[in-house]
Amino acid sequence: MSRRGVGLGAFANRTQATQSYATHGANLRSTHLSSLQTQLSVFQSLLHTFALEHSSTIKSNPTFRAEFARMCNTIGVDPLAASNVKGKNSRRGLGEGGSFWTQIMGGDMNDFYFEVAVRVVELCRETRAENGGLIGVEECRNRVGKGKAIGSGLEVSEDDILRAVRSLEPLASGFSIVRVGSKQYIRSIPKELNTDQATVLEAIQVLGFVSVSMLRLNLTWEKARAQTVIDDLVADGLVWVDAQGPEKEYWSPQNLLDDSG
Amino acid sequence: MTTTTPFPFPPTYNFPPFFTPQPNSNTRLSQLEKWSSLIQAWCRHHRQYRLSLVDAIDTPLFHNVQLRKRLDLAAARDVLDWMTKSEEEGGGGRRAEWLDASTGGNAVPKSVAYVWWRRPEEWADVVADWVENTGQRGAVLTVYELVQGEATVSQDFHGMDNDVMMKTLNILVKRGKIQIFGNEGEEGVKFF
Repeated sequence: MSRRGVGLGAFANRTQATQSYATHGANLRSTHLSSLQTQLSVFQSLLHTFALEHSSTIKSNPTFRAEFARMCNTIGVDPLAASNVKGKNSRRGLGEGGSFWTQIMGGDMNDFYFEVAVRVVELCRETRAENGGLIGVEECRNRVGKGKAIGSGLEVSEDDILRAVRSLEPLASGFSIVRVGSKQYIRSIPKELNTDQATVLEAIQVLGFVSVSMLRLNLTWEKARAQTVIDDLVADGLVWVDAQGPEKEYWSPQNLLDDSG
Repeated sequence: MTTTTPFPFPPTYNFPPFFTPQPNSNTRLSQLEKWSSLIQAWCRHHRQYRLSLVDAIDTPLFHNVQLRKRLDLAAARDVLDWMTKSEEEGGGGRRAEWLDASTGGNAVPKSVAYVWWRRPEEWADVVADWVENTGQRGAVLTVYELVQGEATVSQDFHGMDNDVMMKTLNILVKRGKIQIFGNEGEEGVKFF
């Protein structure tokens, strides 16, 4: 048991102790920081090497590419956006504004996403009359994967499609990703879906088609509400009408895409 | 009308609303385009040059038995009508042409139409290319030989509708590529 200081000297002692604690803490923090910085830069350079080493796989294998992109995201590197990975890694002198992909892979990767984006835009424009400017990401992937001309198929993952659509954002393209139920869609017309419309589209996903009476039964909507939502969807070209049953049925044109080209 | 391979229907064919004229004009346009390419593909597959609506309305083309959906006569006529118009008129690029009574059609107007899965001008190119590639410039052939002869078996225009062949040949005459002579029904053609 140490003798507890009494008298004025104790104050001086305590100040001293606090000071040395603070210094020690600062020391510790800076060591930590520098070691973390070292770790991060080591990791970044490893990532760099890894990306270079596996660049061909990254380019050709969609799953691998998605995983790699996910990994980059986790450590806060957005591969598409102009990247903060400068300094040590930007030895290549590819300019300040180059993205991570550009820096590590010489521009090929950006070109790849622009290529995908172009295909996506083309597809959306082509099918706008058919689907009212709403196209499933999955359908989109299939179509881009097939390509129109022989050998023009581009093997992509849904992640690539999403990334490509996002890369269009700076252009104020009006392309956005919307989620309806369990599915993601690309919306190529800047028009919001209201809650009721989204609900009906979700119901169509599950049931295949809907009718006014089905909506009334399942959602306990009033007739006028159900009819209005459906009329709006028809007016926007988002659903097609089948009038040959006992009651009008409304179908989503999403499955048409398969290979109607 | 009989071919060994069944006609491969596009996925649209199994989409029930495909058989109901769509109220939304954009959707309708897309629908008409799909019908037009389906009808052209069907006729091409069956080597059919003219389509009689009354006869075709009960064939699988317009009647999907599995779905129990069909395009009715009026709707089918609308599709063909659209096909006959040029793109400038908001139509389907003149991919069809109605026959009236004077051109060998039915007395009822808009009941039989040529379906141009190749337009006569395109056929003219095909025939001209064939003549060129087989070194027959300067040769003389009868129209019968051209359509039914052994030399053309491998060609797309083999077994072609006679009237369509005459339309085609008349285009080639206008282009100054051939000359037609002889009586009606036994014309001969000289290629330049």
